[in-house]
Amino acid sequence: MTTTEFSSGHISGHISGHIVSVRGLTKAYGGRTVVDHLDLDVAPGEVLGLIGANGAGKTTTVEILQGLRRPDSGVVQVLGLDPLRDADRLRPMIGSQLQDSGLPDRLKVREAIRLFSGPDAVDAEELLERFGLAHRRNYAFGTMSGGERQRLFLVLALLNRPRLVILDELTQGLDPAARREVWSSVTRLRDAGTTVLLVTHELDEAEELCDRVVAMRAGRVLDVGTPAELVARHAAAATVRFGLPAGRPARDFAALHDLSGVVDVVRTGDQVAVVGNRSTIAHVGAWLVGRGPIPADLRVEAPDLEDALLALLEGPTDQKEAA
Amino acid sequence: MTTQTLTRPAEVNATEPARARRHPSAGRRLLTTELRLIGRDPMTLTFVFMFPIVSMLIIGGSFGTEPDEVFPVNPAHWYVASYFSVVIGATGLIMLPVRIATYRERGVLRRFAAAGFPRWSFAVAQMAVGLTAIAVSGAVLLAAAAPVYGVPAVEDPVQVVAGVVIGSVAFVSLGVLLGTLLPSARAAQAVGLMLFFPSFLLGVGGPPPAVMSDVLAEISDKLPLAMVNDVVRQGWLGLGNATGTLAIVGALAVVATALAARRTAL
Repeated sequence: MTTTEFSSGHISGHISGHIVSVRGLTKAYGGRTVVDHLDLDVAPGEVLGLIGANGAGKTTTVEILQGLRRPDSGVVQVLGLDPLRDADRLRPMIGSQLQDSGLPDRLKVREAIRLFSGPDAVDAEELLERFGLAHRRNYAFGTMSGGERQRLFLVLALLNRPRLVILDELTQGLDPAARREVWSSVTRLRDAGTTVLLVTHELDEAEELCDRVVAMRAGRVLDVGTPAELVARHAAAATVRFGLPAGRPARDFAALHDLSGVVDVVRTGDQVAVVGNRSTIAHVGAWLVGRGPIPADLRVEAPDLEDALLALLEGPTDQKEAA
Repeated sequence: MTTQTLTRPAEVNATEPARARRHPSAGRRLLTTELRLIGRDPMTLTFVFMFPIVSMLIIGGSFGTEPDEVFPVNPAHWYVASYFSVVIGATGLIMLPVRIATYRERGVLRRFAAAGFPRWSFAVAQMAVGLTAIAVSGAVLLAAAAPVYGVPAVEDPVQVVAGVVIGSVAFVSLGVLLGTLLPSARAAQAVGLMLFFPSFLLGVGGPPPAVMSDVLAEISDKLPLAMVNDVVRQGWLGLGNATGTLAIVGALAVVATALAARRTAL
């Protein structure tokens, strides 16, 4: 059962100062726990990403935040309101792009705008222009491409001046060009100071768009931080690879071990891999420049959020999780 | 590029209440939209509008115009009076289940719920959609019958109106309930057709009870759509009082409406 510490008449004066505040949220389906004592805060104006593998409990969490599911236990406050008890007041203040949701195929864009526009709605024409849909206003939803549909969902999510925008698997099934279009739309939201909760398992998306990310596994939070912080904490190793230049004795490369930040040097045939922290990239580069022609096959593998999440997901499970 | 404020203003200005009053409510917007979409739905156009008219025109002309031992009245009029119930059955057993199951399958209902549409707005809109489809299609059916077979005079208007209204509410509610129970649009279509055609053939638009075997006549008597048809047809053609049957249809309407409203709450 959810509880709230605030009176029903109180909307904007959250004690925590957070747009979303969750403590000890738990939800199970048929005995299987999908959200397990989750704590979560979303600050005003930030883009927070929920990342994790399928089944991590991301979508269930945001559905509970919108009052679409009833939690088993925990305290949930969104804009200072209880998502279930205050659903009628809260839902119009949240703009949602839900996973696997649609509109009637024969509903036209302008009709969808009219349907979802509340009394405080912004100028829809302006939004349609901004999201490149003005020329599609007389088209039916069923005739639109995947990218156009997602942009329409963004328009609908923003229509009523939401204080929180929840985007769940925003770019699922989109081609690379359409993904980029949608990403720029979210970037514009961030620039305008809108608070966004982004659920995704596309880690390049999270790295590109999010101020902070929450990594989840089996309904629990593994770590929280900026994408760069997570990478630094969990996937610090960078690798520089290159082939041995012809005529250079292999012993010359023993000096690589002494460079700052280098952890290991692995030689496989005529290929060399230098592993270390991010500063290794610069030191190896400088070393190569100082010793003649730069190898044509020089490659750098810098760690990213995907490496960090994989490291987190492959980490040890605690006793409760293992049970 | 122009910009606009996407967040709520901190304070509501003095003109806000007046503007809010003028703006249609969420429930009204949903109702208007759903009514607009009726005419674009091929399933509705086929089964609720075209099928009853075409089949009525065919079967209404198959048995002549003179009463005999099988038909107590002009057979054409027998079928004209009966086919109004076909519209009711097609709306409740095919159109609404498929429509609502499609919405659920595609996440349209979740979108409505997340957008803050009032809890009962979808149920009310679907009830209104069903009743509107029956009213419009029924009127078109009678307009099509008038120049061909003529529309028989209504002998007992109270019973006919009660039968149409209560029967419509019962089947519209049943349709909404089926739409919320069946897992997919395909399932709704399959189950809807399986329920509709036996009801249609045995209880409304097929052979008259006088030529049915005892077993088929017994089954026909128990079909809800046949009960609605009995009330409407008997009152329309002056074939007798059907108050008992109307009470059963009324009970069905109450139960189905309560269950449908509960299941469709957003």
